[in-house]
Amino acid sequence: MREKIDEEVSVVMYYSAKQRIALPHLIHWQNKDYSVGKIGYHHTVKDGQTLHHIFEVVDKPETLWFRLNLDTSNLHWRLEAVSDGLAT
Amino acid sequence: MDLPLNYNQPLTMHIDLNSCFAIIEQQANPLIRNKPVAVAAYDSPRGAVIASSYEAKALGIKLMVNVREARMLSREVIVLTPDPEKYFDAHRRFKKVLLNYTSEVTPKSVDEFVVDFKGSRAIQQGLSLEEVGYRIKEDIKEALGEYVTVNVGIATNRFLAKLAAGLHKPDGLDVLSAEHIRGVYSQLELDDLPGINTRYRARLNMAGIYTPLQFLDAPMYLLKHEVFHSIVGFYWYLRLRGHEIDSVDFGRKSFGQQYALGDKTTDLEKLSRLLMKLCEKTGRRLRGQNYNAYGIHLWLNFENRVYWAKGKKTNAPIYSTQDIYLHAQRLLYGAVIPARVTNMGVTVFNLQAATSKQIGLFDNAKLDTRSLAKAADMINNKYGEFTLVPASMANMHDVILKRVAFGSIKDI
Repeated sequence: MREKIDEEVSVVMYYSAKQRIALPHLIHWQNKDYSVGKIGYHHTVKDGQTLHHIFEVVDKPETLWFRLNLDTSNLHWRLEAVSDGLAT
Repeated sequence: MDLPLNYNQPLTMHIDLNSCFAIIEQQANPLIRNKPVAVAAYDSPRGAVIASSYEAKALGIKLMVNVREARMLSREVIVLTPDPEKYFDAHRRFKKVLLNYTSEVTPKSVDEFVVDFKGSRAIQQGLSLEEVGYRIKEDIKEALGEYVTVNVGIATNRFLAKLAAGLHKPDGLDVLSAEHIRGVYSQLELDDLPGINTRYRARLNMAGIYTPLQFLDAPMYLLKHEVFHSIVGFYWYLRLRGHEIDSVDFGRKSFGQQYALGDKTTDLEKLSRLLMKLCEKTGRRLRGQNYNAYGIHLWLNFENRVYWAKGKKTNAPIYSTQDIYLHAQRLLYGAVIPARVTNMGVTVFNLQAATSKQIGLFDNAKLDTRSLAKAADMINNKYGEFTLVPASMANMHDVILKRVAFGSIKDI
């Protein structure tokens, strides 16, 4: 089931100069760390002049999906939604 | 004189994403892959399904069933609401892949393109279009994700290319050349032909045409004068034989917005507020593309399945949201409302480039709405959509969400 969260979370991000990619690596949410596994989709949206990066990722054991929003005006992360991939 | 089939080299490619919105959601969330997924306009019992994954289709969850019916067909179905920005992003990436092969790329909708390879670099390099098609499939996986698949059809015209793309869904690639046309037609029903709807099928049946092969063999005179009663019959005669008739890309003719009311009502005040938001969204697009309009059209759908619509042409240009709203509200107040309104839409038409301004005789007597609209647009461009809105739109931020048009995509 997908649940709307919409709260700020701590995220460790890494940048690989060799691959030229920057991706979230670890999410700290509700006193738990989630290592980021597969990146499902990454796209950007503009809200006025502010660019947001949206990352849709799953944790390493592939039990939870996270939708993260990086606000490039202040580099803050918001967790927009989570899902366990089930219907209800 | 009978026109033969088109035996030229097939150089038109039709490409469409399989179950577009659903597959992009499955790409984005690996936990819902290989599961029935339905993307619905609203996650409420009466919300209409606008895309379903292949797994959902196999369970009978097809387009336009509602969420309640979808859940009755399968308790396992995962219902999601649309994420238009993500689909637009996928559309842009899709287009970028195709532009690596040729500049003759025409988007037909958010999830389908037609590519004309005549004189393209790929062909000059001696590649067959089949090879190009397989390369494009790989490139799309690279650009959009490993779960995304596309159907590719190659033929001498757009119609046959689209038909070919639908032959082996999902993830098909078919070349439909003149040698194969009769064989393919013999295995299809009239309804399987792109562009043949129930009405056209009925017309063909009335003329004794029940199969695509009979359609192909029908003389041009019969199609033009007895089936379609117009030039449309001649176009079908050419289309079926692989001659191009559809490579005309029409320019922008109108801008419009529509809305399915979650909270159905007969209250004119509530309808006016919704109308204002529709007008604002229409106006933003009109001004964003730098047009004036000289006509407006308003339509309403009612709970008792009655439809009402009215349009009018205007002498003065329509440009600002206030201009649109003023005309639309007049139309709304003239409407006969027999039951609760379920859907409403506003369209502005008779477009002209907004390069010059015709000054009206009484323009000095009113506020310059054009400058005001420009100033408001600049603020909304900078701080985000609906930062500055007319007072009647206050507290409506989440009403009338962004939607993806089903048809032609002109301003992504």
